[in-house]
Amino acid sequence: MTSSASSPPPGQAAARRAPAADMESLVGTILMVGVITSMTLILLGVIWHFAVNGNLTLDYTITGVNFFGFIVQIVQGLFSGAYRPRLLVRLGVVVLLLTPYLRVFASVGYFAFVEHNLKYSLFTLFVFSVLTYSLFLR
Amino acid sequence: MGGGVVLIPALTLLGLDIKHAIAVSIISVIATSSGAASAYVRDRITNLKVGMFLEMFTIVGAIVGATITLASQNHFLFILFGIVLLGSWVALFIRQRSTVRQEVHQDRFSRWLQLEGSYYDQAAQKTIHYKGVRAYLGGPLMFGAGLIAGLLGIGAGALKVLIHDLVMGLPPKVSTTTSNLIIGVTALAGTSVYLAGGLINPGLAAPVVLGVVTGAFLGTRFLVRISNQVVRTIFLYVLIVLGVEMILRGLGVI
Repeated sequence: MTSSASSPPPGQAAARRAPAADMESLVGTILMVGVITSMTLILLGVIWHFAVNGNLTLDYTITGVNFFGFIVQIVQGLFSGAYRPRLLVRLGVVVLLLTPYLRVFASVGYFAFVEHNLKYSLFTLFVFSVLTYSLFLR
Repeated sequence: MGGGVVLIPALTLLGLDIKHAIAVSIISVIATSSGAASAYVRDRITNLKVGMFLEMFTIVGAIVGATITLASQNHFLFILFGIVLLGSWVALFIRQRSTVRQEVHQDRFSRWLQLEGSYYDQAAQKTIHYKGVRAYLGGPLMFGAGLIAGLLGIGAGALKVLIHDLVMGLPPKVSTTTSNLIIGVTALAGTSVYLAGGLINPGLAAPVVLGVVTGAFLGTRFLVRISNQVVRTIFLYVLIVLGVEMILRGLGVI
């Protein structure tokens, strides 16, 4: 009884705390799923390559495409007869890079539409725009 | 902490060009920091608002830093890497000696940014409330931390944590976990520049990333068994040795 006297009305406190809590599970889940998916893809690719060739040398460099062009290349590769282990590794790297990117994207949406926090919607939108711009660099 | 600063000297000793080593390292930094951040965020220790405010500065810094690296000569990068390693040593040393005062009076800008929070401290078994301060200083300083992260392909965690602790007055646990969240996005910004520069090699990165993530996972399991003090002491010596070694290689002495 004594503690409830000093705290704000329960409804108001819950309304203020609940969105932030959900934001944390959203961000945490995106990061966890992203990292596990990408590590699994890379591991499968490396094991597959090792089983076929008996070495860990998958050497090649990405040149002349930006990040989004790289994704297009992979999707094209999936439908053609490209070397599968290499494709899995590429896909794993793409998922890894997409993980923090999606996290920022989700934060923009959360601040804008759930928390209705204009200030932080703009902050995260700025981060998202800069990242998008830099991923288009080539 | 301590992934990239050990990985890059090791890769260059194995004969990899330093710029390629930086590019490989920055990809593995995304993996380790995102993995660690996912756990801390769900434990509700990370301060998302502090993180997302400071990210605005670190990503721009990382893009500038990575652009400088693409245009730099290798021996310059070796020397700079050595200096940053020795600097991290100083940062860890200062952090060990300093006690963070709990800030009570929040400046107007930090209050406008809603930089405050609370977390449940397992050891103390109570909820700790705190307020972030001096965001007007923390932001620009984080640009510098992002610059170094992008330039050298490391997380620059020691520097970020020091800024959170000493400038912004965050509790140590919040500093460490929030810096983890920032490191992932900062590394992505740097990676995009290295991707555009044609330095990203997924085939080379793949085994290294798997190794680093496994190491980080096993490391945290193993490290809880030996005392914190021992780990710190070993790590501080490693930083000095690697720092001096990188500078000497940059100068062409060895």
